[in-house]
Amino acid sequence: MNNFSVLFQKEWRENVRNFKILWIPLVFLLFGISEPLTNYYLPQILNAVGNMPEGAVFQLPEFTPEQIVMSTISQYQFIGMLLVTLGFAGIIARERKNGTATLLYVRPISYISYVYSKLFIMCILVIGSAILGLLANLYYTYILFGTVDAGAFMGFLGTYIVWLLFVISIVLFSSAAFSTGIASAVSLLLVLFVQLIDGLLGAYWTISPWKLPMYAGEILNSSVDMTLFVWSVIVTVLAIIILLVGAVYFAKRNVSKTKI
Amino acid sequence: MKTLLHMQGLTKEYGKEKAVDDVTFSLNKHTSTALIGPNGAGKTTILSVLAGLLKQTKGSIVFDGEITEDFRKGIGFLPQYPKFYSWLTALEYTEMTAKLSGVDVKIARLEAEKTLEFLGLGDAKKKKTGTFSGGMKQRLGLAQAIVHKPSLLLLDEPVSALDPIGRREILNLLKELQASTTILYSTHILNDAEEMMDQLLFLRKGKLVEQGSMREVREKYANPVYKMYFSSSEEAARFVELSPWSARQENSIAFIHIEEAKPLMNEVLRVLSDSNLSLSKVERATASLEEIFLQVVNKG
Repeated sequence: MNNFSVLFQKEWRENVRNFKILWIPLVFLLFGISEPLTNYYLPQILNAVGNMPEGAVFQLPEFTPEQIVMSTISQYQFIGMLLVTLGFAGIIARERKNGTATLLYVRPISYISYVYSKLFIMCILVIGSAILGLLANLYYTYILFGTVDAGAFMGFLGTYIVWLLFVISIVLFSSAAFSTGIASAVSLLLVLFVQLIDGLLGAYWTISPWKLPMYAGEILNSSVDMTLFVWSVIVTVLAIIILLVGAVYFAKRNVSKTKI
Repeated sequence: MKTLLHMQGLTKEYGKEKAVDDVTFSLNKHTSTALIGPNGAGKTTILSVLAGLLKQTKGSIVFDGEITEDFRKGIGFLPQYPKFYSWLTALEYTEMTAKLSGVDVKIARLEAEKTLEFLGLGDAKKKKTGTFSGGMKQRLGLAQAIVHKPSLLLLDEPVSALDPIGRREILNLLKELQASTTILYSTHILNDAEEMMDQLLFLRKGKLVEQGSMREVREKYANPVYKMYFSSSEEAARFVELSPWSARQENSIAFIHIEEAKPLMNEVLRVLSDSNLSLSKVERATASLEEIFLQVVNKG
């Protein structure tokens, strides 16, 4: 990989020095830990600060450990994805816009290495943070609610990582193809809005990348339809490949748009 | 003298707009060439095509004997306003650009340090580029452009944004560099650059309107004059009357236009000695590059 290590070192230094390496994992950890804690202590919290009328009785549902993990995922699916799309929409576009990329593009770099250095750093930050958050989540869930089957959790985690890769590819592709503003809009649309549509109207189809988080949850509950799941993964992997090839293509094509 | 680069009929269109229109020129090795023209004449576009940032619509470029689309290995490029990653130190940045330009990983750091030292940034090499002043940024921009010892150095307005001291320093550095590389730079400030150009390329609205060495262009456009200083304006007027050449008078100074090296000085002196006028001083004045620039870009 021509130049990859040099370009990756630059990405690494950037994200260490702007503290993304710190605050992105912190956000995922926070949501990972707060979900089991607040669910477990909800009765006490309501008693202490809920301002409940005298004698009010609440029947709170008994959560299974799997439900706690899944409710964490629903937090990640909104706040986490918002963070990823908005936080990284400029990863290529901003460099072009502010002119720092010009002095990279005039060198004999390979655009595959260029895009992959960005892909790699995003994987480390996003997937690494999600794994960290989910492991912390698993630990607290285990202490407060009980055990989750290890094999099912691995399957769940693997599936969710494929979904995250899909999101990362969308953001990277948009950033290579469009300006930062449009890239943010396109990524938000493709990640959050389509997810919403899929949730509302998704009963009519079963194979879709946007259903992967749902299938991940079903794997955790051991209730997944393997055929549909495998097809969804295949479609997602194909989409990831197309998006990444497209990202390299547009990164190269848009060289002339860099500010000189 | 060996040719490093030959550009033939380069044209760059944006829609119907021609930013560069059929430009042909050659660069000889170890020479410096100035691209001169008003804003929007196509100087930056030509440099950008050579830097591989833009693709020409038409035309070919032969670089060091090869017809190629990608000369990025052999060039160093300094944009007019170089932008750096503010979170990298000058040394980290220069080392990175050296490696990306193909300098051996083992010696990249050493080369980067030497280059920064050469450009007077030795003390600032551990500082983040975000804290740099304009002059330091220009030096760092030059550092990243020369760290890999390119055979062609492309500079877009290298001194325009600097104060007179900074300008002088950068120009001296460039003169030093010319021994080891070929320089093509654009400018619209001519006086400072006057001493550092073997070839002039005048651009107007994307077209190459004039080219040649400083002397050739001077001879063609400079319209040299003899400035004759007399003791009074009456004497000057009398001299203009007597002179058989086209002459004019301004206060106590008479101007004789020299065309094709005529009249000769001794002819002028003969007229003077016959007339008994008291001449205090004679000057042979040529038009400044600035005046030539205006003439060239305004013609046609």
